[in-house]
Amino acid sequence: MASQQTTSPSGPIAKSTVIDVDVHLGGAIDYEDVAQYLGEPHRRRLLNHSGPSPLPWSGWDRNSGGKIDSEPHTIADAHELDERLCREFGVDYPVLNPMSWIPRLPETKFAIELAHGYNQVLLNDFLDEYDHFYGTVTIPTQDPEWAAEEIDRLGDEDQIVGIYIATGGPDKPLGDPKYDVMYQAAQDNDLAVVYHGHVDAFLTDFPRQNQALEEYVSVNALGHPWSQMLTMTSLIEQGTPEKFSDLDFVFLEAGLLWAPYMTYRLNKEHSMQPNASPLLEKSPEEYVRDQFYFGTQPLEEPLDASQMKLVFELLGPESILFASDFPHWDFDNPSTIVQTIRKNLDDEAFETVLNENARAVFGIDS
Amino acid sequence: MAEHVVADADALPEGGRLVVELEGFEIGVFNLDGDYCAYLNWCPHQGAPCCEGTITGKYTADFDPETLETTHDWIREGEFLYCPWHAWEFDLKTGDCTTNDAYSLPSFSAREENGNVVVSIP
Repeated sequence: MASQQTTSPSGPIAKSTVIDVDVHLGGAIDYEDVAQYLGEPHRRRLLNHSGPSPLPWSGWDRNSGGKIDSEPHTIADAHELDERLCREFGVDYPVLNPMSWIPRLPETKFAIELAHGYNQVLLNDFLDEYDHFYGTVTIPTQDPEWAAEEIDRLGDEDQIVGIYIATGGPDKPLGDPKYDVMYQAAQDNDLAVVYHGHVDAFLTDFPRQNQALEEYVSVNALGHPWSQMLTMTSLIEQGTPEKFSDLDFVFLEAGLLWAPYMTYRLNKEHSMQPNASPLLEKSPEEYVRDQFYFGTQPLEEPLDASQMKLVFELLGPESILFASDFPHWDFDNPSTIVQTIRKNLDDEAFETVLNENARAVFGIDS
Repeated sequence: MAEHVVADADALPEGGRLVVELEGFEIGVFNLDGDYCAYLNWCPHQGAPCCEGTITGKYTADFDPETLETTHDWIREGEFLYCPWHAWEFDLKTGDCTTNDAYSLPSFSAREENGNVVVSIP
């Protein structure tokens, strides 16, 4: 009943060929299934682990406070995947990955054995079952040379279409030259490189990875928006703008476009987990629009300058404050930026950004 | 307007729920302390069978600006429906999504009549 109902009002996606590039096998793969491909001592470790999982696991609530059942969000095997995703939802070609966070493991040998095991399960239990299934090679970033060999081993398989890298883990960020051998192998085998973020690594890895960036260009590019995203998220999570509804919150030196992106993402998260932020009386977006303001600097620089219009529209001139960051080295030249703003906004919005918002937010009379 | 007897009233006690098919629609019928309500079993978010989700209460909070203390409360147990896919929260009394005014569950009239639960399809 439920399965029919999920599709009947809108129907499966039948209008054209659908390729779904992020399909997780996750719970479909039991550790027992993987263990048969592992050598000792790793096999015994996988089969006889202590705790809920042999892999690092944060333990965070993923069931919205117990209100949703985890069962519908896992699949038992290839046949159930085909039935539910392909037949009911109308996906023609799923691209499968095992969603194993192997790069987080501190032990390189174990990571390699696991990756090999997952790749064998992908081939034997899924890709061999259905010709319309495709898959990606799980990569242990701990050993790029081994990864390259694994890519070469599997690259000829018709249904292998990419390599799958869970981002995070204690190793250096994924642009480090030590990974070049792995990327070369992917290129030689005509495979795409797929990155997938994950929440467990977020808790432990990113401070390390931030410090492992090679050049300041990256730190300057990421430091501001990441820290502002964290700040905005925390304020919404805790209901701070609801608690202090007369306060205005100003975010500087991260530019503009991160804000609508993060706002829309918080909308989505809050809809799924409203009880996590019980103080909120309205959507995250409404708090952002009512109380949050964003400095223009460093103003985004798309190759097609006309796209700036969209950036201003998404956030809305009522949320934007002119800012230069003068006299820092990466400041925005006020005369140039004012011209850019001028080009993209009408008279009223231009005044709003240049002075009226700041007047209201900071109580500046002029 | 077509009226359908969907169950004996005894089969839908207070706090109970039925999911029935009427005129090609799957419809969830609920008994909230004697008040009946009926909604399309289709989540306006992404089409899940929302009427089959968990029914429980809602966590609320109140901030006291004088003391800067936040107090929490669990309210209206049995009056909120959580979609089984993404846990979107709907007020069973109104069908409204609690986090987004733009979304409500399509509703149908439901009542008890002569010992039967009756749902009207317009």
